[in-house]
Amino acid sequence: MTITTETTSPAEIRPPAEVRYAAELAALDAWDQERGHERPPGWRLSPRAVRAFVVGSEEIGVRRKFYGDDPLVDRAVVSLMGRQGLMLVGEPGTAKSMLSELLSAAVSGASTLTVQGTAGTTEDHVRYSWNYALLVSEGPSERSLVPSPVCTGMREGRVVRFEEITRCAPEIQDTLVSILSEKQLMVPELGPDARVAARPGFTVIATANLKDRGVHEMSAALKRRFSFETVAPVRDRAFEIELVQHQLEAELGPDSGRPEVPHDVLEVLVTVFQDLRTGSTREGAPVKRPETVMSTAEAVNVAVAASLEARYLGDGTVTAAEVARQIAGVALKGEEEDARRLRHYVDNVVRERARHDARWKAFFTAAEPLWR
Amino acid sequence: MAVSVEVVADAGAAVGAGTSRRADAVWEHAPERLRAAVDAARRLRDERGIHFAPVRHHSPACAVAVRSAIEELRPAAVLIEGPEEFTRLVPDLLHEETRPPVAVLSLGGRTGEDEPEGAGFYPLASFSPEWVALRAGHAVGAELAFVDRPFGERSAAERALDGAAPGGSGGAQPDPFARTLMSERYLAHSEAVAALARRLGCRDHDEVWDQLFEARASAELADWRTVFDDVFAWSALARLDYEEGVLAGDGSLDREARMAARVGETADRLTGGGAGGGAGPVLVVTGAFHTLALVEALSGAPEGAPVRDRQPEGGFGPAVQGEAWLVRYDHERLDGLRGYGAGMPSPGYYERLHTAHLRELGSAQDPVPDGPVGARALVTEVLVDIARGAAERGHAVSLPQVSSAAESAVRLAELRERAFPCRTDLLDAVRSCYVQDDGGVGGPGEPERPLGLAIAEVFGGRSLGDVPPGSASPPLVRDVRERVRAVRLVVDDSVPRTTRLDARRTASHRSKRQVLALLDFIGAGFGRLVSGPDHVSGRGLGLITEEWQYSWTPLVEARLVEMVHLGATLDAVAVARLHEAEARLASTGAGSASVAAAARLVAQTLVIGMGVHLPRIVALLRSTLDTDRDLDSVVSGARQLLGLWQARVELGAEEQASELLDLVSQALATAAYLVSDLGKVRAEDEDAAISTLVGLRALLRDAAAAGGAAAVDAAGSPGTDRGEDGVGSAARTAVGRELARLRDEDGTAPAVAGALLALGFTDGAVVDDVLIKRVRGALAAGADPGTAVRFLGGVMRAAPDLILHTPEMFDAVDDALRALDGDAFLAVLPDLRRAFTWLRPTETHRLAKRVAERTGARVEQVDVRVALSEDDLAQGLAVDHELTAVLRRDGLAHWAATEAQAESVAEFVAETAAGAGAVPTRGEA
Repeated sequence: MTITTETTSPAEIRPPAEVRYAAELAALDAWDQERGHERPPGWRLSPRAVRAFVVGSEEIGVRRKFYGDDPLVDRAVVSLMGRQGLMLVGEPGTAKSMLSELLSAAVSGASTLTVQGTAGTTEDHVRYSWNYALLVSEGPSERSLVPSPVCTGMREGRVVRFEEITRCAPEIQDTLVSILSEKQLMVPELGPDARVAARPGFTVIATANLKDRGVHEMSAALKRRFSFETVAPVRDRAFEIELVQHQLEAELGPDSGRPEVPHDVLEVLVTVFQDLRTGSTREGAPVKRPETVMSTAEAVNVAVAASLEARYLGDGTVTAAEVARQIAGVALKGEEEDARRLRHYVDNVVRERARHDARWKAFFTAAEPLWR
Repeated sequence: MAVSVEVVADAGAAVGAGTSRRADAVWEHAPERLRAAVDAARRLRDERGIHFAPVRHHSPACAVAVRSAIEELRPAAVLIEGPEEFTRLVPDLLHEETRPPVAVLSLGGRTGEDEPEGAGFYPLASFSPEWVALRAGHAVGAELAFVDRPFGERSAAERALDGAAPGGSGGAQPDPFARTLMSERYLAHSEAVAALARRLGCRDHDEVWDQLFEARASAELADWRTVFDDVFAWSALARLDYEEGVLAGDGSLDREARMAARVGETADRLTGGGAGGGAGPVLVVTGAFHTLALVEALSGAPEGAPVRDRQPEGGFGPAVQGEAWLVRYDHERLDGLRGYGAGMPSPGYYERLHTAHLRELGSAQDPVPDGPVGARALVTEVLVDIARGAAERGHAVSLPQVSSAAESAVRLAELRERAFPCRTDLLDAVRSCYVQDDGGVGGPGEPERPLGLAIAEVFGGRSLGDVPPGSASPPLVRDVRERVRAVRLVVDDSVPRTTRLDARRTASHRSKRQVLALLDFIGAGFGRLVSGPDHVSGRGLGLITEEWQYSWTPLVEARLVEMVHLGATLDAVAVARLHEAEARLASTGAGSASVAAAARLVAQTLVIGMGVHLPRIVALLRSTLDTDRDLDSVVSGARQLLGLWQARVELGAEEQASELLDLVSQALATAAYLVSDLGKVRAEDEDAAISTLVGLRALLRDAAAAGGAAAVDAAGSPGTDRGEDGVGSAARTAVGRELARLRDEDGTAPAVAGALLALGFTDGAVVDDVLIKRVRGALAAGADPGTAVRFLGGVMRAAPDLILHTPEMFDAVDDALRALDGDAFLAVLPDLRRAFTWLRPTETHRLAKRVAERTGARVEQVDVRVALSEDDLAQGLAVDHELTAVLRRDGLAHWAATEAQAESVAEFVAETAAGAGAVPTRGEA
């Protein structure tokens, strides 16, 4: 097992944003200096450059990475300048984590100061813990203290990401309350005055899912210390197609000789996801919504899988039939009820569309035996 | 004619950079046509003294610029886009009592007898450039005129386009106010503007406008030349998206032809063809969309040909005179966000913004109340007001939240490169800092939340304008306002109000009710009866107080204006409406007009205090009485008339009292004639026939009771047969005789016969022996079980408790039922069960007890009594709610009972539970 302690190594499946977009960040830095944009204390880029990094700018040659809600990005950038943390809430798969990663990469140049919230997260993960070997031999000292990402972020004046904060127990979440309001972390073990003081640039971006099963409530005290932003699912079909297309290139590489996923196949894929996500077709016919979250991220997974299937198992062209087969496997997490809902969708919506449209016909032919 | 989007985008970027290069950047990239136009505009200014003020309707930025322009130029004439017949209203618009928002209302042409083809509104808010142009132009002594094509000349197709809400129809109810004459769908739908929005990161064309124009500081706006140049470029580019055919089809070119001609005429007259001489320059204030066309048409540019070709040889002649009225308007309808299409969204916010500009620039003529000076200072005020509004509705916002919102708004403005926080920055700041969960602020498409309501209040605004009492508003509107004010109802704002009236005892309440009912009758949409006696529909007659909800919205005035052709006063309109109603009644065809409908009209006439018109309607009613063949209609009509007589004091209809009683007598006589029809009804109509019988009996009883009072009332009017015995005693006798005949005839429908017998017994017209004999006879062994049960059903329906109080009858029924064989019993069982449902639960209990005694069974074995507590009821209701929710979730909402049904079931259950009787469950229902 190799643990990457440095920023990155080339063989990583998914390098952090600051590595993937290093060139864009450098261009933005240059743009800032050229224009003389002011940077808030501790920020690596100006707010305008951060915004451009997320929503793109043709002028600077920066690609759009987040779609559908530019004002939300504005608000998020501004919130990061304020005293409060930023809380991104919304349904699963709405690119909350991606947004948090992009923002921290742009603001601090690092998106890796991350606490990944789970039911097992303890206070040590939020504050600090000890290297017990050193602790036993030397006693509490700077050297034996193991800082948490939060602790490091405070010291270095960087953005700390707290993923899935509502999966932590409320008492662990509340550890953040005093850190966010006092901007310091007491370390009594090192002496009565020992503390880690936050430097400018420190703030917390938390992501949370308030509606999922198995999440905890947030205390009012914690809520007060965050600006809330609700990230909505992508509604625009054209945007979502573009998004899937880009993600697909990012996942499979642009020139690996992989089969193209034609635009009209992507259209079928995205339409299926949007129908199932919203519970009705664009024409207004009702559709039964599956329990599984039909997020854009899942759509990308399906597209990737369909492309791989066509490449290694099929004849090298991706059609709606591959998409149909992969939706069953990738998007539906094996719930019997969901399969029934999909059958309903195939019977009522796809069958009708298949009568006029060859792509839907392919989808239908592949889907029908699969979900009988 | 696609214009490169780049041009606009570059212009936008340059504007956004907040430099003085703004206008230059536009012109550097401008297509040749635009550059030529700007040169032409310069020549028009220098040679003919014509200055153009291209504006966006309801834009405070343009309003400020227009004011500065007028104050600096001191023009001899200010010409404004707006149908030229509005010029007549200028004195009223300038009247000191006129307070915006107001609207000029044009009525469409009328085709014959039809309703007007619809009205067009020309709204003016305090921050509308057109409004400011009028006021400031007047202050410098300029001649003021509207120069657009008359509203009446617009074709139906054009009118249909007016006010087509940006973003599609939405299938909402068409609001008459949607027909604004200041529609701006071009800007909303222009591809160039949409591209600019994407480029600038703005969500829609409104935000683009904010970004480019409203975000300028007061002093920048006072530099009107730059502002107008930029507005001109901005909208000219949008205009180039449109083909000539589109502009011709919607009347734009025709309108521009008229405007260009009027501008030319005025300039020639005032400046004598040279800028140097003459009275002074001419300022032309129009929607920026038209400026390009006006410049090209006036300058003789080849592109102006389509417009010039539409001008007649000898000019348009003198300005057209037409009907137009000044009415009050309100912010709610001005709000583009609410789909009225009248221009800018958030009028409440823009009014504050405009006032803040005025405070900074100083304004001699329009004193403004104290408040934030300059747009930057406005931020805190708006945020505090929203916080307060949210707190009032239960969404607490702390002081730190307000201050962080203010900070956030300023930072957002910086990020978006605006001089100060604009509308969307404020909204975003509120969203960021006041919301503490994932529910959003609420609003259109989302559930209503306190914060959303507070935002709507501050941004939407609540202002209602005022118009002078003079001639500008149609006489009908004035008359109605006076009438409404005279009875002390509030017409000074559009806030909905509730008033409780006790018309029986208080004369002033009576007149209030009369005005409310009158306006309701003519369809003014002013008030509506929430609860209380409704004499027209016959509901709630037992109630003493009535409750009305009313509000004097601009819509009321608009509706009234649409009725001006019916009459000049409220009474005249009401009379016209009465005539319409009479005509409708009469035209239903000879012989088919119903007494009930005519009686309703009588009720309507009395309720609205139009008793003087009663004779005509009474005559109609009398003739109807001769022709109506439906006893039920006659009976219910007569009961309504009697009810009106009983309510004569509260209706103020004492004078008509004797007339009403006459009608009742006549109706009774008609009823006597029609009673025999009841004997011939078919089995399935028996229920309705018995209902009629019960109604008739009630009518007879009430008519008899009305006797004493009537004798006193009508002592002086001989000739009618009433007196000590009550109303229409002769007719009542006749009815009684007919009823008796029907009762004793062999061929009478069995249920009707049974009901008549039971009623006769209850009233003492049938003695015990006869009743028992008839019952035994009808139920005797040889009788057809079906007929027997129908007879029994009639008895039970008319007098359910008879079987409890008359042991012989109980015996007779008991014997008859025992005598039935199994099959026959099963055959009649459904009807039989139904017959017994007319008993109240306690009666059923008593009957069961008696049956138990008779059969020797224990009471508990046959008892259907169910003891229910309130807890059971609550539980039942909870289960019911849950079940309904489940059905809804599964898309089976139509399976569940409707709200009304559920309520009535709940009420019924509550009543029965109180009486501790048997309770039907939903399952049975």
